[in-house]
Amino acid sequence: MKVVVSQDNTGAVRRVPMGLASRQALIAYIFLFPAFIYFTVFFFVPIVIEFWSSLHSDDTGNAFVWFDNYVKAFEDQRSINSFVLTLVFAISVTILSMVFGLFLALLLNQSFRGRTILRTILLIPYMTSAVIVGLMWRNILDPLVGILNKVLIAVGLPTQDWLSNYKEALWALVGITVWQAMGYNMVLFLAGLQGIPTLYQEAAKIDGANAWGRFRHITIPLLAPTTLFVSIISVISSLQAFAQAFIITNGGPAESTRFYVFHVFNVAFSEGKFAYASALTFLMFLAILVLTFIQLRVNRNGVEY
Amino acid sequence: MFKESLFPGAKPLTYLILGILALLAIMPFIYMVLLSLQTEAETFAGDPVLIPSDPQFGNYLDIWQKAPFARFFLNSAIVAGVITLSHLFFDPLAGYVFAKFQFRFKNVFFLLILGTLMIPFFVRMIPLYSMMAGFGWLNTYQGLITPFLMSAYGIFLMRQFIQPLPFELIDAARIDGSSEFGIYARIILPQIKPALATLGLFTFVTHWDEFLWPLIVVNTTEMRTMTTGLTLFNQEYYNQWQYMAAGSTVLFIPILLLFLFTQRYFVEGIALTGLK
Repeated sequence: MKVVVSQDNTGAVRRVPMGLASRQALIAYIFLFPAFIYFTVFFFVPIVIEFWSSLHSDDTGNAFVWFDNYVKAFEDQRSINSFVLTLVFAISVTILSMVFGLFLALLLNQSFRGRTILRTILLIPYMTSAVIVGLMWRNILDPLVGILNKVLIAVGLPTQDWLSNYKEALWALVGITVWQAMGYNMVLFLAGLQGIPTLYQEAAKIDGANAWGRFRHITIPLLAPTTLFVSIISVISSLQAFAQAFIITNGGPAESTRFYVFHVFNVAFSEGKFAYASALTFLMFLAILVLTFIQLRVNRNGVEY
Repeated sequence: MFKESLFPGAKPLTYLILGILALLAIMPFIYMVLLSLQTEAETFAGDPVLIPSDPQFGNYLDIWQKAPFARFFLNSAIVAGVITLSHLFFDPLAGYVFAKFQFRFKNVFFLLILGTLMIPFFVRMIPLYSMMAGFGWLNTYQGLITPFLMSAYGIFLMRQFIQPLPFELIDAARIDGSSEFGIYARIILPQIKPALATLGLFTFVTHWDEFLWPLIVVNTTEMRTMTTGLTLFNQEYYNQWQYMAAGSTVLFIPILLLFLFTQRYFVEGIALTGLK
């Protein structure tokens, strides 16, 4: 009987009799059929539709205008403003939540009683719906009815009106998002820390390196792949922030928290400019794709130890 | 391996810092519960109250009458439930094919599916809305559910768990005359129960919490889910904080309980893939 030698991704070689191979293929195609339909209809077709519609005008008649909507995006002050503030937001959230996440992970990477409970509690904000988080913080930070101002008065500090001050509202949202995201980064860093062989730490200890020296010269370099991974997914997800703006600030004051996805959402569903909104979406999509490719590339040439 | 301790004598400091941060992490939730028990006057007092003077448990009854809250709860349960069941059935099915079958274009198909991981939801939201409008599926369960029936993340995760299973298991079942679907349902699925638990929990929580899509595809009150329904207390019944807090608590409790009892799966799931 003729034999096909096949190799799967693990490198395992399997000899399959020929008749069985084509039967296998048939079953494989049948089992994959639902996935084929789903990803075609709900991923690939929408993206083609979106690109096609981004090349048309929003005015009556929907004339084909090539890349006019993309050109418009670069001239539209609102879109530029929205992109810039979203970028500031994403970078700030990423840096702060990584610092806190790493700090928490280092503390939790010791053996002590109550470790699991503390880890669980620290992860609760991440598991909570952005809607609950948004509503809660909007109440807490409210200049009139919020509890935070009362606490500030009680301890003799000046009160805040972050949510109604256009210079500060974005930073209030950064703070809330860091509060929510740090537990997630903590878990990823914790996994990274546990992946570092203890061998190196022991060797450095014997050589007389102190705790800071071991952290600086062993932990940080060996954690580099985790750090890169966390930073990229954090930037990517913060670039898509939406609920904070929708629920807490409604994009204000003075559009100072008009996050990009919130902006696109409004351009499409409030102003009805679907073609322009599609072009804006594609531009952000490209930015995120570039970030993703950087991540994939660096992962491939990852650190070896 | 856990380190014994960061530096000598680090333990008291560890407890202190982690204790403060853990308190910061849950304080807003405790405040939410306290707020949900206040009277309307207390929530609006110029001088905000922490402990309600006369706990208003009635707030929890009122929300079901003020808005069709039972319906919101049911809608969320149906949407998140159906999506989760669909993932639990279809993700491992495709994962099984990629783990154990040999066929033409296998790698092409696999890369195409993995490629969808790079497509964030907001990229699909506008064309999906147009499609749903075209199908007449605005304000329907189909509209809320169908964009999320499977995920590349789930397929990939399931493939990783099925790959190490021995071929002998499958071959033996084939020789015994089991149908191909029977092998999937009775041999493969039971072998990957812990992975299915992780996938199911993540999927359920993600879609219980989903906000953007229900906001887009639904504009009638009775088709709102819990998340979009809650914002009603914020818009139409302007700023009734005690109801908003009570509703948030009702939305929060199922997820909190689910998380507390199964947190091991969540932590492993995050660490394994870095994805929610």
